[in-house]
Amino acid sequence: MSEMHYDAVIVGAGISGALIAKQLAAKGRNVLILEAGADGGAEASTYRSYVDAYHLTEVKVPNSPYPANPSAPSPSVLDVGPIAPGRPDTAGYFVQNGPNPFRSNYTRVTGGTMMHWLGTCLRMQPNDFRTRSAYGQGVDWPLSYDDLAPWYERAEWEIGVSGDKSENEFGGIHFSKDYDFPMEPIPKSFSDRWFEEGVRGMEVALPNGETKTLSVSTTPQGRNSTPRKGSYKVGGEKQPPYGAAGATGAYAFQGQRCEGNSSCVPICPIQAKYNALKTLSQALRQKGRVEIRSQSVVSKIETDGATGRVTGVVYKRYEFPGAPAWEMKRVTADAYVLATNAIENAKLALASGLCPTSGQLGRNLMDHPYVMVWGRAPRPVGPFRGPGSTASFPDFRDGGFRTKKAAVRLELANWGWNFAANAPYSDVARLVEGEYLFGPELRARLRDEVQHQVRIGIMPEQLPSALNRVSVNPAYRDSLGEPRPVLDYAVDAYSRAGVLQGMDICQQIFQRLGIENRSTYDPNDPGYVSEAGRGFVYFGAGHNAGTHRIGASRHDSVTDLDGRSWDHDNLWLVGCGAMPTIATSNPTLTMTALVLKAAAGLERALEGKS
Amino acid sequence: MGDAEGFLGLSVALTGYDRASLWSTGCVPAYRKQLDAVAGPALADRLDHIGGMLGALPPGPAVDALIREEVLSDADLGPLARSLIQLWYLGQWTPMPQDWIDRNGAKREDTARIVSTRAYREGLVWDAIGAHPMGAKPQGFGAWAEEPPSETVR
Repeated sequence: MSEMHYDAVIVGAGISGALIAKQLAAKGRNVLILEAGADGGAEASTYRSYVDAYHLTEVKVPNSPYPANPSAPSPSVLDVGPIAPGRPDTAGYFVQNGPNPFRSNYTRVTGGTMMHWLGTCLRMQPNDFRTRSAYGQGVDWPLSYDDLAPWYERAEWEIGVSGDKSENEFGGIHFSKDYDFPMEPIPKSFSDRWFEEGVRGMEVALPNGETKTLSVSTTPQGRNSTPRKGSYKVGGEKQPPYGAAGATGAYAFQGQRCEGNSSCVPICPIQAKYNALKTLSQALRQKGRVEIRSQSVVSKIETDGATGRVTGVVYKRYEFPGAPAWEMKRVTADAYVLATNAIENAKLALASGLCPTSGQLGRNLMDHPYVMVWGRAPRPVGPFRGPGSTASFPDFRDGGFRTKKAAVRLELANWGWNFAANAPYSDVARLVEGEYLFGPELRARLRDEVQHQVRIGIMPEQLPSALNRVSVNPAYRDSLGEPRPVLDYAVDAYSRAGVLQGMDICQQIFQRLGIENRSTYDPNDPGYVSEAGRGFVYFGAGHNAGTHRIGASRHDSVTDLDGRSWDHDNLWLVGCGAMPTIATSNPTLTMTALVLKAAAGLERALEGKS
Repeated sequence: MGDAEGFLGLSVALTGYDRASLWSTGCVPAYRKQLDAVAGPALADRLDHIGGMLGALPPGPAVDALIREEVLSDADLGPLARSLIQLWYLGQWTPMPQDWIDRNGAKREDTARIVSTRAYREGLVWDAIGAHPMGAKPQGFGAWAEEPPSETVR
């Protein structure tokens, strides 16, 4: 009944699964990756079809390039609607109990959600690892910034991060003397520098008495610029000069420096931006054997009742997306890794009855409830050029105010009001259908309206809460009979208070630079919430985290530091679900650091066995 | 259908882009077909006729007056012209309002859609705003750090 026995079976062909496969295969291990989504991306024609689909889709959301797959459905941000109390919203793939909708998505496709990430690679700050001790909020991590620093370095070199150390040493973040990012920083946009010039020396007094001096920091990004020439110590080990990873497959001649396609989300047409297909193709070139089996939806993780050890994985192999039938298969391995994403990992583990001891599995679901502030600058700032964001105000990512309200990162956006108000489409429609403009006047007005568009994104931290959770319910299943994720989610007063403080800071910046505030928040929007009498709309950031957190004790965490399940000796859970708190950094880099640490632990465990 | 002169005359006046710019998109045949399919023969003839007159006029107040009087304020031609402008700027057809459909009938081609990948990439809006289509025609590494292009319109 069983097929070949592997050293490790990995569920999910995204960045986490790809990195673990690459690390294990480098040691000569035989690895099988089971991917629920359709085969895709590695072939140049498939990747090109993604780009075409993006161009052809009217509503350009993160999942637009990737074909809908009824056999392995993905959530869409377009499915989000209002939730009436006691009546879950079941319109999309998620079953949403509310009270607030969970607005983020992910993509079940070979390469995973990294296909449409923005590329932001920020480290967390030292205090982010100890918010309970420092501010009485959230939980402390079982490791410190210094513990994770060598893994951050390895993660930055795996992804290929372009960055500038000097502009990222804030809030206690520090870099090793003989270390540097593998590539030179991505240049700040014209509007970043306009903001930087405008706020120079500006102080912001916060209600709690703290004063912060504003700064604009270049964002470390997982996209190619120019490799640094020198050799550096990465994780304490001397590395040869960095060689950038280009695109995969027949596109390998591309994927060099970022050309400024301005479509990182939902797809980089030339693969200058890191995606997991790159790591997958590297994994396939290691000395061990890596096999990727797509269209394989894992249905159950089997365990031995006496020992708790995982004994096999049962999956459903479908012939093509939407196929009415599937084949049940089973594989075995020495070690098993769940590497899907925070929500699918929790769903699968819950459906298989895994990890019961702590009661934390599926809980502490977090995201960055993303709020936007936008306006008209007094001069043209050149939007709609380059990566979606190249800099931010990092100054409110930490501070004594965190005892009462969330820290926020204020992200400078390069694409005008695109996300906020569907520019430039909405501008064309308004000027043509509303103001009856045409000809040269229309052309000139479009230039004037759009060139002045600026936007700041507020990314507040969200605390872990047992009430924000993923669960499964036999009543809700997809077309393969697999459970759909059931979500309970709320944006609490702590995050909301942080957002309000962030909005106030943005208005001060607007006042200083002469930006006319044009932000509006529709009370009918499903993401409309209010705090202290002030309303705003939050969106999802796609930063799904927290559902199988690491910890020091089996009683309050699902896995140990290395992602190894407390309850199942040969099972690892990796990905953003491992993060005990989400802080204010986009989670991919921290997740990658944890994954690399987990891969090392997993290899040690396999060695101990053999 | 004759040659594209009427369609081009109309398109130049409505978009503010010259004939060479419009031809070089490669979208003239597809857009003309789309417009004619929704307009039907009678309205297409009227637009063609007005387009021919517009094409013969020098740019300026006479063109503007003719467009406002004969096209934009006309209950049948106005919605078609506004959709044509958006087709040129966004590569996307904007369906007719209900009262237009009540008068002229529903058309199979009158649906909201991006006509082709080329139509998306050739949308005039990206040039008009001083940028490039998102996901196409990149400007090169670091272009985003440069001063925005001048606001002068030819």
